Amino acid sequence: MIATIKAEWRKNRFRPAFLVSSGVIAALVAFFYATNWYLALHPAASQRPGGTNILALYPDQFVNNAMGAAYPIGAAIAIVLGALLAGSEYSWGTMKTMLTQRSGRLTTWLGRVVIFEVWMAIVTVVLLAAAAASSLVVAGFQGHAIAWPAMVDLGKGFAAVLLILSVNGALGLALGTLFKNSAAALGVGLTYLLALQIIVVQFIDAVNNGAYKWLGNLFDGQNADALLSTFTSAAFGPSTPASIAPNTAVTVLFIYVAAFLVIAAGLLRQRDVT
Amino acid sequence: MEHTTIVETHSLTKRYGSGVLAVDSVDMSVRRGEVYGFLGPNGAGKTTTLRMLVGLIRPTSGTVTVVGHAPGDPAGLAKIGSLIEGPGFYPYLSGRENLRVVADLVGVSHKRVEEILDLVELGSRAGRKFGTYSTGMKQRVGVAAALLKDPELVILDEPSNGLDPQGMAEMRKLIKDISHSDRTVLISSHLLGEVEQICDRVGVISNGRLVTQSTVQELVGEKGVLVKAQPVEQAEDVLTRMFGHEVVSRQNGSIHLKITPENSIEINRRLTSAGIGVSELRPYERSLEDVFFQLTGEKQGS
Repeated sequence: MIATIKAEWRKNRFRPAFLVSSGVIAALVAFFYATNWYLALHPAASQRPGGTNILALYPDQFVNNAMGAAYPIGAAIAIVLGALLAGSEYSWGTMKTMLTQRSGRLTTWLGRVVIFEVWMAIVTVVLLAAAAASSLVVAGFQGHAIAWPAMVDLGKGFAAVLLILSVNGALGLALGTLFKNSAAALGVGLTYLLALQIIVVQFIDAVNNGAYKWLGNLFDGQNADALLSTFTSAAFGPSTPASIAPNTAVTVLFIYVAAFLVIAAGLLRQRDVT
Repeated sequence: MEHTTIVETHSLTKRYGSGVLAVDSVDMSVRRGEVYGFLGPNGAGKTTTLRMLVGLIRPTSGTVTVVGHAPGDPAGLAKIGSLIEGPGFYPYLSGRENLRVVADLVGVSHKRVEEILDLVELGSRAGRKFGTYSTGMKQRVGVAAALLKDPELVILDEPSNGLDPQGMAEMRKLIKDISHSDRTVLISSHLLGEVEQICDRVGVISNGRLVTQSTVQELVGEKGVLVKAQPVEQAEDVLTRMFGHEVVSRQNGSIHLKITPENSIEINRRLTSAGIGVSELRPYERSLEDVFFQLTGEKQGS
C-alpha cells in the first residue's frame, strides 16, 4: 500500500492538470473578490438590492466567501480532475503498466484515491488561501483592521469544501473508470452537475406541490448547497434557511463519496483491462 | 533432460460478450530458462493470451499458472516483467521519472533505474519527456520497466512493433542480452525472422488455437534437396522412380526431395541423361516462414 501511494504521488505531484486547476481556482477567487470589491465601491453598478456589502470582503469573512467558489465551480474542477485521473490511465495505457507490477487491483485503487484526496486537500487549501490573501488586499486598501475567523470556523470551512470536492471528484473517478476514457467521463459528469441534476430536482420539487421534495433532497447538489449555506453572517444580508439540516447534508455527502468510490473499485476489480 | 515449466495453460479460453472466441482451448507450456516465441498473424489471439497470463483479463474457462501462481496474483507479478501491447507511460513525465514510478511500485531503488537505463542505452535521453520520444525509445522504456525488478519471466508483446530495421536489430540484441540462462523470455511476434533468430521454442497460434508448439528445429523439419527442372512432370517421374513417392513432393513449380544433398550429382546425371533441363539443384531448408504460412493457412506474399 505504501509503495502504491509513493508511486501515485510521484506521478501526480507535478501533474499539469492538478497544477493548472489549483491556479484556476485561485484566479477565480481573486476575480470574485475583485468584482465584488468594485461593486461594493460602486453600488450603482450592482444589480443586487442594496449592493455588495464591503464588510463581507474583509478577512474575518474569508471562509464564508470561499464557500461560493466551492460549489459549483470547485465541484466542476473536481469532476474534471477525477475524470482525468481515472480515464487517462486507460487512454495512455498506463493502467496495464500499473496493474502488472506488484500490487493488486484494489491496492492500486486505494493508493490512487489517497493521492487524489491529498490533491483535493491541496486545492481546498489553495482556495482558502486565495480567499484569505484577497481579503487581506481588500482590507489593506480600505484601511480596515485585520481580524481573522476563529480556527474552528476555518476548520469547518476546510472540511466542508474538502467534502464537496471529494464527492464530485469521486464522481469523476467513477465515471472515468466506467467509461475508461476522460472525455466521456467529464462530459457526463459536468452535464450532471451543471444541468441534469438541477432540472431533475426542479421537476421533483414541482410535482404535487413539493410532495416529493424529500427525493430531491437526496441529490448531492442539494446537500452541498445546504452545507455551504450554513457559512454566512450578517454581512451577507438575510438568508433563507436550508431545507436540509447540516448534519444530514454531511452524512448524505459522505454516503455519496463512499458509494462512488466503491462502485469505481468494483468496476476496476471485475472488468478486463483491454 | 527434465524441464520445469514456468508458464502452463490448460484449455485456456477467452470468449468476449459479443460471442467472439478470441482464444480457444490453448494448452501452452513455456520452459524455465528458454526464449519462447509466440507466433501468429494479427488478431490470432496472441495479445489476449498474454493479457490473461498477467491477469489483465480473466479467462472464460481453463487454467493458467505463471511462475507458480495464478495470473494477477501479486506474488506472481513480482516475478514477471512485461510489456503488453506497447509501452504505457505518462507523457508528461520523463523516461527516468516514469521508471522511478515503476520502481516505487515494485520496491526497487532508483540506482537500479539508472542501471537499467544504461542497459537499454537510454541514459543520456532519459531526462526528456516520454511524450516526445520516438517509437524506438518508447519501446526501450517499456523493456526497461519490464526488467526493473530483475524478473524470472519477461513477457514482451511485439517488442519490435513500429521499429525501423536498425531499431529491430537493436531490439533483437537487447532481447539476447536479457535472456541469460536462468531467465525466461516469452516474446510474441508476427516477425518470423526475428523469432527464428532468437527463440529456442515457438508456439504458433491461429484463429485463437495453438496449432503447434515445438523447437524451431523440429518445426522447420528435416533438410532436403530442391530441384527446378523442365518439364517438371517428367522430372518428377524420374525422381519418384529413383527415391519413391514418400520422398518426392512438388511445391510452387519446384520439386522437394527429403534426402541428403550427397545425392545431388546422381540426380543431375539422371535428369540430364533423360533429356530434362535442370535450372536449379540445391540443398534446401524450410524457413520458419514456410512453416508458419502452412500452419496458419495464411497466403504467402499476400
